[in-house]
Amino acid sequence: MGKAIVITSGKGGVGKTTAAANIGTGLAQIGKKVCLVDADIGLRNLDVVMGLENRIVYDLIDVVEGYCRVRQAMIKDKRFDTLYLLPAAQTREKDAVNPDQMGKLITELKQDFDYVIIDCPAGIEQGFKNATSGADMAIVVTTPEVSAVRDADRIVGLLEAQELYDPYLVINRLRPDMVRKGDMMNTEDMIDILAIRLLGVVPDDESIIVSTNRGEPAVLDKRSQSGQAFRNIVRRLEGVEVPFMHLENNSMVQRFMRLIGIGGKS
Amino acid sequence: MSKEACIIKGNKNGLSISIPGEMEFNEVLTQLKVRLASAEQFFEGAAVHVTADNRELEPEEKHQLERTVREFGMVIQEPPVRVDGIEEHQREKHLEEEEEDTLLLRRTIRSGQKIKYDGNIVILGDVNPGAEVVCSGDILVLGSLRGVAHAGCNGNVSASVFAFRLEPTQLRIANYISRSPDEKLPKPLGPEMARVSENIIQISAYS
Repeated sequence: MGKAIVITSGKGGVGKTTAAANIGTGLAQIGKKVCLVDADIGLRNLDVVMGLENRIVYDLIDVVEGYCRVRQAMIKDKRFDTLYLLPAAQTREKDAVNPDQMGKLITELKQDFDYVIIDCPAGIEQGFKNATSGADMAIVVTTPEVSAVRDADRIVGLLEAQELYDPYLVINRLRPDMVRKGDMMNTEDMIDILAIRLLGVVPDDESIIVSTNRGEPAVLDKRSQSGQAFRNIVRRLEGVEVPFMHLENNSMVQRFMRLIGIGGKS
Repeated sequence: MSKEACIIKGNKNGLSISIPGEMEFNEVLTQLKVRLASAEQFFEGAAVHVTADNRELEPEEKHQLERTVREFGMVIQEPPVRVDGIEEHQREKHLEEEEEDTLLLRRTIRSGQKIKYDGNIVILGDVNPGAEVVCSGDILVLGSLRGVAHAGCNGNVSASVFAFRLEPTQLRIANYISRSPDEKLPKPLGPEMARVSENIIQISAYS
């Protein structure tokens, strides 16, 4: 029996889908059986980020409505045999499915996979309720912005109401240079407000935009710093203690040392 | 329900909904909603035009009606231009003998929109990624086709898909299915046509 993790944020555009794609791919990379579920009915993106859009024939709604079996709707990833995507319907809306149906579907998927990663839509309405129903745990994604943190706080409260306690936090798009200058919230500030377990900090990284547009998750790019951050997140999910990347006090010397390979773990 | 608020009829130009003259507008609207809701997705993607018998619709009323119809996934179409009564009759008869109905759409079909039609579809515009066009006949896109197209959906293997720029996410003809390659391809330079030949969907330049 696997574990179902919902990736949520409240606010849109903070990187839920990117996180889902990277965490899912990262878990598959270390040999886990993973199913990514796009719960963003009507505004699906996970298929595009994974580069699998052109393979979609059936979707989650077809499964729920009984037009096809789960196996028929699942799309095998191009890179990993143990990674699958269950795409959302694009021509439908959130109310095409209800939390009960989603719960059943996720339970069914958990039989066959080590991890079921659910990409939650933005907002706190029906889509959120669908995505969180059936999840065993939650990862809350935020960016170092007051509005995103506020929404993340709201989400943590709503998750508790759904009996999803003790979620993980992923801070996305952190800019160490701005934090150093005091122009951006730092990690401590955010943990202070949200008071939940930190799973990882992903630096702002141009390469992730390139990889997202190409449909190749950054976690596969050995040179990408954000990819490294996601690889660390994946290992932490697996219970390995990985020190956090030293993003916020990254001096030129440390960067240089890491470059020549004596900087230790980042 | 003493009197039907609206009569939904199918004809050459898709569906038409006609509204009786004397009924109160709000009543008409509620009854229409009940009618459409009970049909669930049956009407989704259908082209429709709304006509009122012996009554003038206020612009606001007209707008409300159109919005309701759109809520149920239907596509608003302007009423057909009436030519001479006899001439129209003859034309219809002539068409029936020759081939299926054709739906003409003068707009861009965007992500999340699905056009379904029993007949051919001609689109004067683009079909964007995430959009779906499904019909029992041929599909002609006088623009770029980047979404999903399914021609001959009732099993007509000789159906074809034509586009000025044919770059679909996925192509389906009858029971055949093909997807775009993963690596980037050079943009097509001219009109292309896809059809089934030797048991696969093949694309060739149209000339």
